Amino acid sequence: MGKSSGEGRYIKGTSLGEGTYGIVFKATDRQTGRTVAVKKIRLGKYKEGVNVTALREIKLLKELRDPNIIELIDVYPHKRNLHLVFEFMESDLEAVIRDRNIVLSAGDIKSYMQMTLKGLAHCHKKWVLHRDMKPNNLLIAADGQLKLADFGLARIFGSPDRRFTHQVFARWYRAPELLFGSKQYGAGVDVWAAACIFAELMLRRPFLQGSSDIDQLGKIFAAFGTPRESQWPDMTALPDYVEYQFCPAPPLRSLFPMATEDCLDLLSRMFAFDPNVRITSQQALEHRYFSSEPAPTKPYLLRRPPPRPEGPPKPSELISPGGPVVLSPMSKAVRLSAMPGGDVHSFGRVDREAGKEPGSAGPQGETPFTASRIPMSIDATQLIRPTLNSADRSHLKRKLDMDLLSNQD
Amino acid sequence: MAANFWASSHCKKLLDADEVGHVLPADQERGLTPEDVKLIKIHLSTYIKLLAQNTKVRQRVVATAIAYFRRVYTRKSFSEFDPRLVAPTCLYLASKAEESTVQAKLLVFYMKKILSEEKGFRYEIKDVLEMEMRLLEALDFYLVIYHPYRPLIQLLQDAGLTDIIQTVWSIVNDSYRTDLILMYPPFMIALGCIYIACVIKDKETRGWFEELRVDMYVIKNIAMEILDFYENYRNIPEERINAAMAKLPQRS
Ligand SMILES: Nc1ncnc2c1ncn2[C@@H]1O[C@H](COP(=O)(O)OP(=O)(O)OP(=O)(O)O)[C@@H](O)[C@H]1O
Ligand SMILES: [Mg+2]
Repeated sequence: MGKSSGEGRYIKGTSLGEGTYGIVFKATDRQTGRTVAVKKIRLGKYKEGVNVTALREIKLLKELRDPNIIELIDVYPHKRNLHLVFEFMESDLEAVIRDRNIVLSAGDIKSYMQMTLKGLAHCHKKWVLHRDMKPNNLLIAADGQLKLADFGLARIFGSPDRRFTHQVFARWYRAPELLFGSKQYGAGVDVWAAACIFAELMLRRPFLQGSSDIDQLGKIFAAFGTPRESQWPDMTALPDYVEYQFCPAPPLRSLFPMATEDCLDLLSRMFAFDPNVRITSQQALEHRYFSSEPAPTKPYLLRRPPPRPEGPPKPSELISPGGPVVLSPMSKAVRLSAMPGGDVHSFGRVDREAGKEPGSAGPQGETPFTASRIPMSIDATQLIRPTLNSADRSHLKRKLDMDLLSNQD
Repeated sequence: MAANFWASSHCKKLLDADEVGHVLPADQERGLTPEDVKLIKIHLSTYIKLLAQNTKVRQRVVATAIAYFRRVYTRKSFSEFDPRLVAPTCLYLASKAEESTVQAKLLVFYMKKILSEEKGFRYEIKDVLEMEMRLLEALDFYLVIYHPYRPLIQLLQDAGLTDIIQTVWSIVNDSYRTDLILMYPPFMIALGCIYIACVIKDKETRGWFEELRVDMYVIKNIAMEILDFYENYRNIPEERINAAMAKLPQRS
């Protein structure tokens, strides 16, 4: 029996909040009794149909199924609006990090990192880059499982010669190759962001809080030293490469005094400058950090902040009382700066579509070799199509027929 | 490299021969035959390609659009979903899914331009946007499609046959005039196309094919299907297409 879908299947509850491209409601799935979160996608102004960000999220989540990736339960249109039904998530990692009442033990941190990396490894196995890893996109379910969410900036990688935009990720989580303008990056960008989250779990504040792209790199180099050419040979060839004044690396231990050796070893491998040297999400999961003492805390034993307040947060609630402010850095606005050097503040409108790469749309985007060597497509009307005269045809047919026969016995 | 394909929804959704090319009851009632259905699909695949050339989108978008188009009609009838609207909407949706969005306005402009002579179905932007939503539902929101182009390059490099790439590339393009993309893994389609090109260009590749340890029977079936297109459907007389299209419900 086909499962039902659509408006009638859900009993709509209170509003949970509002994102860049839609309102999220709590709801109950009549069919399963499950609590869900329904995201109603706002229609674009410009008569451009289904929102591209929503479409990207749907497209990729339909391909991903993993305990550490948010489940897209259903999608349906209602009154011309698209509705995305997700499993309901009680909290997110940002709220955990920010909650001063929660003590994060070494085992808790290990557990959160393990779940993060598991979700990430699943994405990477399926050639999906998340590209927006940050604590508030790591949601936490009622059973304590952490799940990657917000795939609106994600995309499939692995196509040779595909150029991506480097304007992805909230700045504080951006890998150095992105900050230097690389357009052919890979899964390493997600690993770097995961490393930033790792550090944030230990420090209870964002680790590298740059105030501009230049400053972000400055913060990175202050923490790990300015990379030498031998450490990262491709660096100087990157589009926006600029030379930074040399600065030696302080011992990593001095930044994370409580961390174990295993922990620092994994952290430093995730923070490797050269993306080709950086540990992969799968290798990170196999690192001895995860098998050494203390064991990762069982997810259901992890302490969680009180459930989200119902209803959209009031502006005053957006700033945490006491404790450091751990809001995402201009996360939405950052996506605006698709233009090189574009100042975030000069754009009034928040536009998720800025995450789209401008370079891929050319007609040569498909051709895997240099554009001059292979035509984008060989058009029916433009030569090169194999012209088969009838003699050729019967020859070919006969050959195929014969081969087929000889193959059968 | 193909690892992602094997885990994809595209792979799980591959269909058998008897699941494509059939005539749905609503279309049978209108007198559409399997041959009509085949002609309509070829005709509108060409239409998609033409629109794509005008709106300047990548070949990959065309391929994805045709795959959507063909997939929709394994489940939906032409009577219920007018292919003259579905085809351009597939291109519109594919352009978004493949990250090189075509503006609906531009698309509709060329729709009107190309089909200005054929009266009876002038579609507007709102029709495309409405159909986009219905199309998404008909596709059950599965949008990722893999194509033979990428494996093709790797296979040709492996076989040391990069000199015939243009021929093979064009055969792959033509394979979208059939339902093959719904039925076989893209690398198998690539192999079928390489096989044809090798026969045409007189390349000795038996040894290479044997080493691949693929099911040659399947490869040859694919080749036969494409050959059937070249032989019988390459230049379809307009009357035959018009006769088939005339059986579709006419818009008032
Ligand atoms: N699966 C879910 N379960 C429970 N609440 C959710 C869920 N998804 C989203 N929410 C709530 O709805 C709010 C809006 O979510 P949404 O993902 O649209 O935007 P966002 O992540 O806040 O911002 P952005 O659009 O920049 O990513 C979130 O802040 C969160 O409080
Ligand atoms: Mg978010």
